[in-house]
Amino acid sequence: MPYISYDKKEISFKIVYYGPGMSGKTTNLMYIHNSLAENLRGELVSLDTEEERTLFFDFFPLELGQIAGYDVKFNLYTIPGQIYYEASRKLMLEGADGVVFVADSNPLRFDRNITSYEMMLDNLASYHIDAEQFPIVLQYNKRDFPDAIERGSLEKVLEIQVPSLEAVATSGEGVMETIRTISKMIIEGFEL
Amino acid sequence: MKDYFIKEKVDPIISGLCRDIKPITILLITKQGTVISEAGDTKSINTTAMAALTAGMFSATREVAKMVGEQQFSILLQQGEKRHIHISLVTEDAMMIIVFEDYRRIGMVRVEAKKAGTRLIDIAMAEKAKDTDAAFAAHHPSTSTNTNENQDARNKDGKISTPEFKEYALNLIDQIFVTKT
Repeated sequence: MPYISYDKKEISFKIVYYGPGMSGKTTNLMYIHNSLAENLRGELVSLDTEEERTLFFDFFPLELGQIAGYDVKFNLYTIPGQIYYEASRKLMLEGADGVVFVADSNPLRFDRNITSYEMMLDNLASYHIDAEQFPIVLQYNKRDFPDAIERGSLEKVLEIQVPSLEAVATSGEGVMETIRTISKMIIEGFEL
Repeated sequence: MKDYFIKEKVDPIISGLCRDIKPITILLITKQGTVISEAGDTKSINTTAMAALTAGMFSATREVAKMVGEQQFSILLQQGEKRHIHISLVTEDAMMIIVFEDYRRIGMVRVEAKKAGTRLIDIAMAEKAKDTDAAFAAHHPSTSTNTNENQDARNKDGKISTPEFKEYALNLIDQIFVTKT
C-alpha cells in the first residue's frame, strides 16, 4: 500500500528486488541508478558485507515526477539473498507495493530460485498479502549463461502465472523493461 | 498507508522541539522510511537515506524484541563519540529521530521527545477519528456530518482522480525507464 500524504502532496511506492544470493538484484538497481538523470534519482545507499554481498539492503529513491501537483516517488530496495538473512528479507517486504523476483539462469541454481520464491510467498503471506493479487514480475537474469534454464521452467515448478522477462543485468539488457513492467503493474492496480 | 500527520500541525511541534533541545537534526518518519517532517540541519545529512535506513533498523529491532518476549522496544539509542541518535516510536506507523551532540542532554532529549510524541499521537488520533467518522457517514448518508464534507473537500483540493493519475504515471514511466540502444 503506497504512502500517501495529501498534506505534503506526496505519493511513494515501494518496489523490492527479491531473489536468491548473487542473482543480480543489486546489479539491476545499480544499472537503473546509473541510467537515470541525476535530478530524478537520490543517492544509492548500499550496505555491503566484506564479501560484497548485500547484508541489509540497497536503496535509492526515484522521482517519477509531478502528477496533479503530487510528487510521485518510487523507492527501490533490494533484499539480502543469502539464506541466513531470512529475518532481514522478511522485513524489507513490509509495505512493498510490488516485487521483482530476480532469478539466476545458472542451471545449478535452479533449486535456489525455487526455495527463494517459496520463501517470498511465505513472507508475503505473513503480511497478509495475497501473492496472486500482488504485482510480481519474474526476471530470468544471466541469460548469457551457457545452458541457461528455460524461460517458463520456474513457473511450471512453482505453478504460478506471472509476467516474466529475460535479462543480463551486467550489460543492462532487460533491466529497464523489468522496472517498467513492475511500475506499470503497480500503477494499474493503484486506487485512491 | 495514509499519513495522519498533517504537516501544518506537525511541523510546529518538531520545530518547537528543535528549539527546546537544540539538537543537530530531528526527523519524523514513517515506518516505510519516508520523511514526514524535519527540523534543524537537514542539509549536511542525507535525510532520505537516513529515514530509509532507520526504518529498516527499527523493524530489525522489533524482531529482536519479539525474540526476548517484548512486543517492541520503544526507544533506540545510538551512542557515538561526538554524535548520538535517539530514536523513539511515536505511533505504530511513525518514529522520531533526534541527532544530537552533547550527551549530557540525553535526559532532556528523552523527556522532551516523549512530550512531543504525545502531542503527535493526539494529532494522528484526531485525524484518524475524522477519517473513521467520514467512512461511517459515507455508509450512513442520513447521519452525514461536516467531517465528511471536509474529507471530500480535501480530496477535491488534491485534484487527483485515479484514471487521470494512472494515465500520467504510465506516461512518465515510459519516458523515464527508457531502454538504451
